[in-house]
Amino acid sequence: MAIEAPPAPGRAPGAARPRPKREREEEVLVWPDLVFVEFISAVLFTITFVILSVLINAPLLNRANTDVTPNPSKAPWYFLNLQELLLHMDKAWAGVLLPTIALGFFAAIPYLDRSREAQGIWFGTKYSVRITIITAIYAIFICGLLVAFDAGDRTKFEYATRWIPSCDNSAQHVGVPCLRDEAGAKHLGIVTTKDFSKRLQFSIPWPDALGTDDGHLDWPRDLDRIPVPFNNVDCCYGSLHLWKGMNLNIPDIMANQVIPLSTIAFFTVLIIYVLFRLGWVRTRRDVFITMFTGVLTAYLVLSLVGSFFRGQGQALIWPWEIKVDPG
Amino acid sequence: MALTEEPGKPRNFQERIGILQDRIYDKIFHNYIWQSIFRSGYPNTPRNQMLVVATNVFLHLHPTRLHRTHVKITHTYCLGGLTFFMFLVLTVTGVLLMFYYVPSVDRAYQDIAALETNVKFGLLMRNLHRWTAHAMVILVFLHMMRVFYTGAYKPPREFNWVVGVILLVLTLVLSFTGYLLPWDQLALWAVTVGHGIAGSAPYFGDETQLIVFGGYEIGPNALIRFYTLHVIALPLLAAIFMAVHFWRIRRDGGMARPL
Repeated sequence: MAIEAPPAPGRAPGAARPRPKREREEEVLVWPDLVFVEFISAVLFTITFVILSVLINAPLLNRANTDVTPNPSKAPWYFLNLQELLLHMDKAWAGVLLPTIALGFFAAIPYLDRSREAQGIWFGTKYSVRITIITAIYAIFICGLLVAFDAGDRTKFEYATRWIPSCDNSAQHVGVPCLRDEAGAKHLGIVTTKDFSKRLQFSIPWPDALGTDDGHLDWPRDLDRIPVPFNNVDCCYGSLHLWKGMNLNIPDIMANQVIPLSTIAFFTVLIIYVLFRLGWVRTRRDVFITMFTGVLTAYLVLSLVGSFFRGQGQALIWPWEIKVDPG
Repeated sequence: MALTEEPGKPRNFQERIGILQDRIYDKIFHNYIWQSIFRSGYPNTPRNQMLVVATNVFLHLHPTRLHRTHVKITHTYCLGGLTFFMFLVLTVTGVLLMFYYVPSVDRAYQDIAALETNVKFGLLMRNLHRWTAHAMVILVFLHMMRVFYTGAYKPPREFNWVVGVILLVLTLVLSFTGYLLPWDQLALWAVTVGHGIAGSAPYFGDETQLIVFGGYEIGPNALIRFYTLHVIALPLLAAIFMAVHFWRIRRDGGMARPL
């Protein structure tokens, strides 16, 4: 990318700068000017929260019972975005790896954007306000779109892929891509990303020398047990051989890892590229404003979807349709 | 040193009252004991105003003077300070709640129910604890946004931003560990979701569940672990990182300024 941070002044990174010469007349005393503001805000918050606590009681349901599962059961709101992500991709990515990457990205921001420009004032670069607003709107729209796509039967998104024919289950090789339907059910398009591994089928002619035994490569049948190299070797005190006996389910990896992750990467790169071509993203700082805004907005949108649009069985429904079955 | 030299004879009643006030003031604030506690005089002169900040352990988190743009409310919206204030409120209400709460599967729910009905202001304390906990999570996020959008993470404040990210994680984990303690259906099943998320870690999922939750499902082990983490381990850790966080603000030259 042709974006370069301006060269930092000739000082070791992170070294404390000598304080610029103080303009004494521009300074005020902490007591009373700052201490007063702090005191007032503390008093205001205390009063607000005492009133709030008098008016609204903290929830207390029935005693915990491991035999009775409420439907839906939901995580605290600040983890609902992770619970939402779990519906759309592999649980290790949704629950652990993506949040870790996001936090690592946050922590790394100052080490990647080392310019000293544009600090100490709100939205210091020329186009940062519009970058922030456009990215936030974009992230809301894209998150909504992707959530809707993954609930295609409820949001009618599957209509867009109805043209893919239904599979003839009696055929040995199905040929062109088709979608397998439940016996007796009406034909549906792609309802969720998981359909790429669960329902989508196709076959291409394939020489037996390259791993098939019937002249055709059938998706997903021929690809769901691909042995990992050296998965049958005995070594390394057993449990240290992390992939011993492991086979790769390629269609599952496609549907639960490759497609969701590359979708995230694609839409991230897309907005940065578009804003860059528009000439609004100019510095590395602008790139990080785009990414930071995108991540935070996605966090917020997914939390809201998880809170207000997920009913029993995590089905996507309107907030007023949510009924909690206490179990 | 209000009235050490002999004033003239008081001329009227008002002056007599004035002299009396000064004498009382002198007795309270200029005696040996008071001055052993507070080294500086009343902060009504610039010198004393700086001394009071510099000599008080709580106030000395601040510099003695700062740039006038930084006391404008719209520069920071007090978000970091309010997050810390929420932490203090949570500490006070949390300690009060601890008096009435036993972290055992048999008693936890009963104790919370009793706290709400039998203890004076028990319900208020619990509500305050819960709502300020939510507020702290929100304020941490808002504070992070303020710091990001004002570019205040830039050199030389890189490391303090990292400390802030650690504090964000600690806040979330503190809130999450507290979520289980009432031992009601909401707590159990919310934490069960978190338990599942922790178990989905590649390769170390089972170990994570065993270490953090004390088992493959939420039970007495999880409750006592979450309680210990919630009331002592995590607050201590958070306090340490907060101390570093505040210290670094001063060391790195106060709040970020345009170059």
